[in-house]
Amino acid sequence: MRQAKITSRSQNEFFWGWIFVLPTVLGLLILNIIPIFSTIYQSFFKTGDFGKGNIFVGLANYQKLLNDPLIIKAIGNTIKYAIIEVPFSIFIALILASLLAGERKGKSFYRTIFFLPMIAAPAAVAMVWRWLYNSEFGLINNVFGIHVNWISQPGLATVSIAVIGIWSVLGYNIVLFIAGLQEIPKDYYEAARIDGASPIHQFFQITIPLLSPTLFFVSVTRVIGALQIFDLIYMVMDRTNPALNDTQSLVYLFYKYSFREGNLGYGSTVVMILLLLTMLVTVFQLWAQKKWVHYY
Amino acid sequence: MKKRIFTLLLCFALVLGMTACGDTKKDEKKAPESNSTTEANQSMEKTEKDEPKESMTMDSVKLTVSIWDNNQKPGLEQILADFTAQTGIETEISVISWDEYWTLLASGAQGGKLPDVFWMHSNESQRYMENNMLLDLTDRIKNSQSIDMSKYPADIAELYALDGKTFGIPKDIDTIALWYNKTMFDEAGVKYPDDSWTWDDFVEAAKKLTKEDGSQYGCVIAVDNNQAGYYNMIYDYGGYVISPDKKKSGYDDPNTLKGMSVISRLLEAKAMPDLQTVSENKTDVLMQSGKVAMATQGSWMIAAFKDNEYMVNNFDVAVLPKSEDGKRISIYNGLGWVAAANTEHPEQAWRLLEYLGSKEAQIKQADLGVTMSAYEGTSGNWIKSTDKFNLKAHLDMTKDMVIRPYSKKTVIWENLSIDKLKPVWEGKVDMETALKELATEMNTILSEE
Repeated sequence: MRQAKITSRSQNEFFWGWIFVLPTVLGLLILNIIPIFSTIYQSFFKTGDFGKGNIFVGLANYQKLLNDPLIIKAIGNTIKYAIIEVPFSIFIALILASLLAGERKGKSFYRTIFFLPMIAAPAAVAMVWRWLYNSEFGLINNVFGIHVNWISQPGLATVSIAVIGIWSVLGYNIVLFIAGLQEIPKDYYEAARIDGASPIHQFFQITIPLLSPTLFFVSVTRVIGALQIFDLIYMVMDRTNPALNDTQSLVYLFYKYSFREGNLGYGSTVVMILLLLTMLVTVFQLWAQKKWVHYY
Repeated sequence: MKKRIFTLLLCFALVLGMTACGDTKKDEKKAPESNSTTEANQSMEKTEKDEPKESMTMDSVKLTVSIWDNNQKPGLEQILADFTAQTGIETEISVISWDEYWTLLASGAQGGKLPDVFWMHSNESQRYMENNMLLDLTDRIKNSQSIDMSKYPADIAELYALDGKTFGIPKDIDTIALWYNKTMFDEAGVKYPDDSWTWDDFVEAAKKLTKEDGSQYGCVIAVDNNQAGYYNMIYDYGGYVISPDKKKSGYDDPNTLKGMSVISRLLEAKAMPDLQTVSENKTDVLMQSGKVAMATQGSWMIAAFKDNEYMVNNFDVAVLPKSEDGKRISIYNGLGWVAAANTEHPEQAWRLLEYLGSKEAQIKQADLGVTMSAYEGTSGNWIKSTDKFNLKAHLDMTKDMVIRPYSKKTVIWENLSIDKLKPVWEGKVDMETALKELATEMNTILSEE
């Protein structure tokens, strides 16, 4: 076996390499990695008041989880929300981005308009939408002269909330897509035009494949984001809302159990389900990307 | 070479900054005073050696005060200003809405960072007292000139006491009364509610005041309106919510069902807005927008009502209806002023509590109309605080009162009752079935306490 010779140069690089990644590594460790493991650890305990006097209960929390009808419902609600939010927010953003990427009058004006929801505080956004949706006094019902219970009708509430989600995240997606679109060399389009390809043809044959890395990134991050939906539901839905059971997400349940009812152990268990779900979906996406993402 | 040294220094500073941050956090937990200014440090040491009269060192202290009701803030700010004028101890009041209040307080308690002085409620007090989160006031009260616990309602003092130790000074008491829209009553030709009303009369009036097109309803009692709503009916009819030993739920008691049937009848007659409407709009909003003719409300709402033009012009208040047996009970409650056990300024915090509980401050609280005060003999002042409504109705409700039901895990079974009663309000489940289920599950929760 050949003994690798440690030169002073490689030693130096080793040292500096670690120095440079240290802040990130520390941040990840303190903010992400350690909490993940402490959450797993917590999920085996029955929480005492204020985190004192925790009792080890083994898998009891997981057993309780399997018999909790709210959990199954919440998994369904979370997935339903993601299925509505992610495709629409990507699709609409993609169209708007293609329109805004080219040379157009008032381009920066529209870009600003679409990006504005992104810089508004989510809680404020939710409050405004809550009033828009209000069945008695809301703007939407009054302008159109209808009486729809947007946020308190079980079938509809998730959709209404997803609309807020789509609206808030659109600007972010558009920015990423515009950046991706500007990366695509103009030559392809020129060549396609000479060959007589219509704009629609160009869009599907050139734009989509060459934008696929950005599309992939956006869809992975959006799916993860959508599965973690909490603030909108929390702000829009009152506890007495009859549609709450058909809307509450896993993170909402986590919040309810952990903080409202002070049962951190069971709350952690709920979050483990979310972790599992997110991992499954992300692994699937990573596997599927080989089929449709083109790196050039 | 210079560049290298510079980068090295930079990295070093960065890493040091991060670790230093982590260290101080740990220190904070162990010894809260180590993080404050040296001035505060000195005063801290002095006060620890029991020299409460050292007012010079107290000047530098600023106490944090947390409450959840924005309507009471202006009045309380005036009272706190008086306190600062007398003692030189500054205060900073912050309002956090009810739900967030308890979330923040719980994480604050866990992380060792509670406000110095804050409000406590019967729903949560047991937990905080048992875990030594609150400053023990027993000896301080004994030596105090201005605090005499016998001047406050015993039920309320008891909420903030455990094993012979006192942790809170009663702040106020509240009663429930019936608020009604005079204009709507006139229009429908219904006589205003008075002390002859039974709950039957209430239901009949509600039916008459309901318009078929859904533009106006007879009354509203929200599904989470327990203290200000259906608890009163339950106790009027001889039912109960929790047994005195806090071990058994009373929701399956036949008398409880009798009380709750008032709600069933209102729901059947469609004399209340549907659950969807009420979940999107709080009961006070429905009152203020002319949607409902009657609602039961707590006396703590008056601070908000008296500033609302529509309420002042149209609404007045009467005593709650009684049961057919003549029983007219108001559920009542009272908040407590408490201090954190690990506050950096226990002596100053105590002086604030002592002031807030004193006759002077309690009278001022009543005069300003912040709330009814807990202190004996201050109700006359409260009634005079506004002439816009007949506040005497709220005072009359103090004749027969039951303290708001509570146990160690009040929040959990109260949330459960909301979940169980929602389908009843929607008309999907009948009252009796829901109450039976609720009682069974509540008993399980109580057995785990």
